[in-house]
Amino acid sequence: MPVIYFLIYLLTMIGIYSLLAMSLNFQVGFTGLINFGQVAFFCIGAYASSLLVTKAGAPLILGFVGGMALSGLFGYIISIPTKSLKADYWAIATLAGGEVVRLLALNEGWLTEGPFGVMSIPQPLRWLFSKDSYPLFYLFLIAACVLIIYFVLSLLTNSPFGRNLKAIRDEEDLCLSLGKNTRKLKLQAMVVAGMVAGLAGALFAHYITYISPENFKPIETFLMWAMIIVGGRGNHLGAILGAVVIQLFNVSTRFIGGYVPLGSDTMAALRMVIIGLLIVLFLLYAPEGLIRERKKVYHLKRKHIE
Amino acid sequence: MLTLTIRDLQKNFGSLRALDRVSLEVQGNSIVGLIGPNGSGKTTLFNVVSGFYEKDGGEIYFKGERIDGLRPDQIVKKGLSRTFQVCKAPEKLTVLENMMLAAKSQIGEDPFSALFRRPRVSMLEKANLDRAMDLLEVLQLVDLRNEYAGDLSGGQKKLLSLGRAFMLDPDLILLDEPTAGVNLTLATQLLKVIRELQKKEGKTFFIIEHSMKVISDICDKVLVLNFGKIMAEGTPEEIRKDEQVLKAYLSGA
Repeated sequence: MPVIYFLIYLLTMIGIYSLLAMSLNFQVGFTGLINFGQVAFFCIGAYASSLLVTKAGAPLILGFVGGMALSGLFGYIISIPTKSLKADYWAIATLAGGEVVRLLALNEGWLTEGPFGVMSIPQPLRWLFSKDSYPLFYLFLIAACVLIIYFVLSLLTNSPFGRNLKAIRDEEDLCLSLGKNTRKLKLQAMVVAGMVAGLAGALFAHYITYISPENFKPIETFLMWAMIIVGGRGNHLGAILGAVVIQLFNVSTRFIGGYVPLGSDTMAALRMVIIGLLIVLFLLYAPEGLIRERKKVYHLKRKHIE
Repeated sequence: MLTLTIRDLQKNFGSLRALDRVSLEVQGNSIVGLIGPNGSGKTTLFNVVSGFYEKDGGEIYFKGERIDGLRPDQIVKKGLSRTFQVCKAPEKLTVLENMMLAAKSQIGEDPFSALFRRPRVSMLEKANLDRAMDLLEVLQLVDLRNEYAGDLSGGQKKLLSLGRAFMLDPDLILLDEPTAGVNLTLATQLLKVIRELQKKEGKTFFIIEHSMKVISDICDKVLVLNFGKIMAEGTPEEIRKDEQVLKAYLSGA
């Protein structure tokens, strides 16, 4: 039943991109940090985890943890310039940062195998399952990760920490005047977001078992942005919904190739054109996306609401 | 004694001397007014004192400690906070969230504690919520508690910024035109609150204000700034009679 396998693949990819979109949304939608190099986290998570396992011989779990940690560390490093760069200039710096990471993966062959990529990346608990049932197990693994991350991020954004982040997004000077160390808060936000996207990278690498710098081009960042623009920012469900919509479109249009008289190159280019158009339409007519940010309402004691 | 002492403070914008060797003192537990014509450097003074602008010379002491060169948030942690003339109102934070935001030293501001010390965090949140609601009642903003701060009117934003300042509860509050755009009844009420905070809790206020009535009503001392220099200093009565001040500032009004 190839259809089922395709469906499992589709859902798995949606799960991975949900994590990436939630991470980007945490930065853009909650903290107001415009990151155009989101793919770098994905890349670092994937490479760190697979290299730790294939080259250093670490156990898989350590690979995942290492991928998250290194990606979080990259979040720390890339957030340092926020203290001296204005938001828009920092955004440009992140775009460059993302490319630097990919080019390092491409050129530091002694570590990353360069353009050949890392091959035969082992899969977690592979020996427990048959070839046919493993993809389903992996889908469950990813679904569990998405649920846990959704839960953790919701706790964070509903906490005083999350309130500070939203206040930085809306009025940074006000936060300073209220004694908030905005630098530290942005740094913490970037580390959290980096860890989430790093986890997505590790899950991706151990799923497809082969990664190369080709997987981590700037276009990936573009897709993640499309997800949070379509789905809505400042809302974790919106990020997930955006990942569903964009991935459904992106993957499913590969299969109508047989029915349209266009070459596959043209189709690939056309796909991006349509996603671009989608972004423009959303920004013009539904700038808040499919799910808008939810208003925080506090539960009050009766005394206050006579 | 809680005192703000400024010595020879200078701030230039290009060739413009916004603050020209300003020296002044704000005594603890008092209300000091700062008046002066538009462009005389009042807000610039606040910006430098609160750490938003870098000074070009001089020294600032607060509670005997030097605070010039510190970041705004570090200065706030020493007990000195300010409001803005053009109110900052986070667009997608409700009025109540704004108040909760201002509460100081919340352990839930640390992501690790936010995840792993939840009972303690929610306990503090509840206590802050109570205080926030009490303050909103005084400011007559209770009914607007679930509105986005970005949707408030100019006057309401002003009230909210006072609310945040009271919630933050610093020892010295720099208020930049706290009653501009607020209706008269409420403004009177606000001044009463400020007076009470000073008397009962020993707070100190340093207030930029254009209304001589407000100044006379609540200030113990008035400083007059003109062309970046302190040109007069005294009780509101003395300032009213000062020839120089009359000429530079009050006569036009």
